Amino acid sequence: MKSARRALAELQESLRISLSALAGNRLRTALTTLGIVIGVTTVIAIVAIIQGLNTSFAASIQTLGAHTLFVDKWKWLNVTGDWWKYRNRKAIGLPELHAIVRESREAVAAAPMSVTLAAVGRGERQLGSVRVYGTSSQYPAATGRGVGFGRFLAEQESDMGAPSVVLGADVQDNLFPGVPPEQVLGARVRIVGRPFKVVGLMERRGKLLGTAMDNNVLIPLPLYSEMFGAKRPMSIAVAAAPGRVGDLENELTGILRKVRRVPPGKDDDFTFNRQEQFLKVYQGLTKALYGVAIGVGLITLVVGGIGIMNIMLVSVHERTREIGVRRALGARRSTILAQFLIESAVVAALGGALGTGLGLAFAQLIALATPLAAAVTPSAVALGLGFSALTGLIFGSWPAWRAANLDPVEALRYE
Amino acid sequence: MSARGTLLSLQGIARHYQVGAEVVRALEGVSFDVAHGEWVAVVGQSGSGKSTLMNILGCLDTPTAGTYLVNGRDVRGLLDHELADLRNREIGFVFQTFQLLARASALANVELPLVYRGVPRAERRARAEEALRAVGLADRVRHRPNELSGGQRQRVAIARALVGQPSLLLADEPTGNLDSATGEEIVRLFGELHARGHTILLVTHEPRIAARCPRAIRLMDGHVVADGPGREVALLGAPQAVTA
Repeated sequence: MKSARRALAELQESLRISLSALAGNRLRTALTTLGIVIGVTTVIAIVAIIQGLNTSFAASIQTLGAHTLFVDKWKWLNVTGDWWKYRNRKAIGLPELHAIVRESREAVAAAPMSVTLAAVGRGERQLGSVRVYGTSSQYPAATGRGVGFGRFLAEQESDMGAPSVVLGADVQDNLFPGVPPEQVLGARVRIVGRPFKVVGLMERRGKLLGTAMDNNVLIPLPLYSEMFGAKRPMSIAVAAAPGRVGDLENELTGILRKVRRVPPGKDDDFTFNRQEQFLKVYQGLTKALYGVAIGVGLITLVVGGIGIMNIMLVSVHERTREIGVRRALGARRSTILAQFLIESAVVAALGGALGTGLGLAFAQLIALATPLAAAVTPSAVALGLGFSALTGLIFGSWPAWRAANLDPVEALRYE
Repeated sequence: MSARGTLLSLQGIARHYQVGAEVVRALEGVSFDVAHGEWVAVVGQSGSGKSTLMNILGCLDTPTAGTYLVNGRDVRGLLDHELADLRNREIGFVFQTFQLLARASALANVELPLVYRGVPRAERRARAEEALRAVGLADRVRHRPNELSGGQRQRVAIARALVGQPSLLLADEPTGNLDSATGEEIVRLFGELHARGHTILLVTHEPRIAARCPRAIRLMDGHVVADGPGREVALLGAPQAVTA
């Protein structure tokens, strides 16, 4: 109890001393903390940017549908050299879709998706290259993408190939600027010259890895095939019940091998693509970024720490007599050690606090100037402060040790 | 030996320093006792071993040989933190150069020994104010050392030495940095403290001050050469004191 009270009193005294010592040398304190300030600012800013990337990426990846498999000839984001393997595969087509619809028990919905770039216009307004999708009424259920206004293509429309179209948000913006959505419905647009009636507007999806996801229109597949040819590459979006994507994949593998007549023992000649693939690539990317942030942070903290060590050595030297007096009055070695450790930790934490503030400001600036929602989390702030204080403790320990081991007699006599 | 009991007891104290290849014998065979309530001057010329003796008496240094008891406790073999606690409880230091912390107020300076003893803040403050009042500085508690005169600074230092109610007040040339009038005030203050029962050990090279003490010990070349009433010991090796 007594010793706890003594420790508390000494701690308060140490804090008071260090604050007054630092206040007494404002310029020196500021210069000392500079290294730490820069380091913490950098780390906080980088972490904020990564957090911002995470948020926007997580939001856009959602638009790929968490429970959706895309049956494709090509593997997404494939960067390995086996291009020929994929190139020589048989195209995915309607037989596969029909087999899935007919045989799958796990599939909740399945929709064909074929895409091409084409001109879309309305009167004077012409958009040169819009992604035109040929699909079915199952598209929203299969992909998890929602209709924002109006309705999607009805089953009859998609089966019969009625000239109905659902617009992506960018196309809506560009063809109907300032027109209220209810007036867009029923309007006519032309796709490579053919008139279509707008029946619905898709929800806005934003960007995914820099690609606009809203510059598209969706029309019935039969009409699409008629306009652009029936042999266009196709993929099939298949939705599973939540948590059953794995089961769906197993089931579809069997169905597809059968319909595509893949001999036993041969590799699949089709691919399942999922949003997770993007996630993996992305996570690899951010891991590297975090590594850079940590590396930069460590280097600057070490540089800042050396600055602190230097200034603490000077401080100990200057206050030799003070140390002697304190020892004479009953301060133990441990007391002196703690006093100087606290002082260096306080300097470093001050730098950390300042750096955190600057980092926050930078993050705000980035959030304002770019579409990135740069976010500073409390954990990043705590990390910045904690690491800088730790730096102070580590680099302050040698000067503090020297202070604690001064001979009181010598220290008192020191001029 | 006083009826009030022995506070300090030195038996055959020696302190040797190794300086290069040479051994400097700063103290050799120093033995004396100091009873509670005594006022003792230690005199001698520079190089006589006064400072070394002072450091040993203050538990800042330990003797090479001999036994030193404070309140019956042998300081030899004490660990560093035990010596620190002993200094904190038993000894109040007064230095020639005052040794106040420049950035701290008079009050904060006086509180310091109590901080290291773990006295709660409110009590610390009250006792420090009381100690400053006792040395006549009740109206200077908020002042910093550089806002005080030399005499006032030394009073703050004395208040700091007294605040922990130590057994011994150990003063090293307390008037050395003061003009004679101010020095006289400080000596008078020591007289008052002595009258109130404090044990005081005062190291000085001024025979005039030693002569005021009931007892004085003269050191020469590390040996005690005289130990007796202050007036006699002060006169011994310092005829100029008579004419002063």
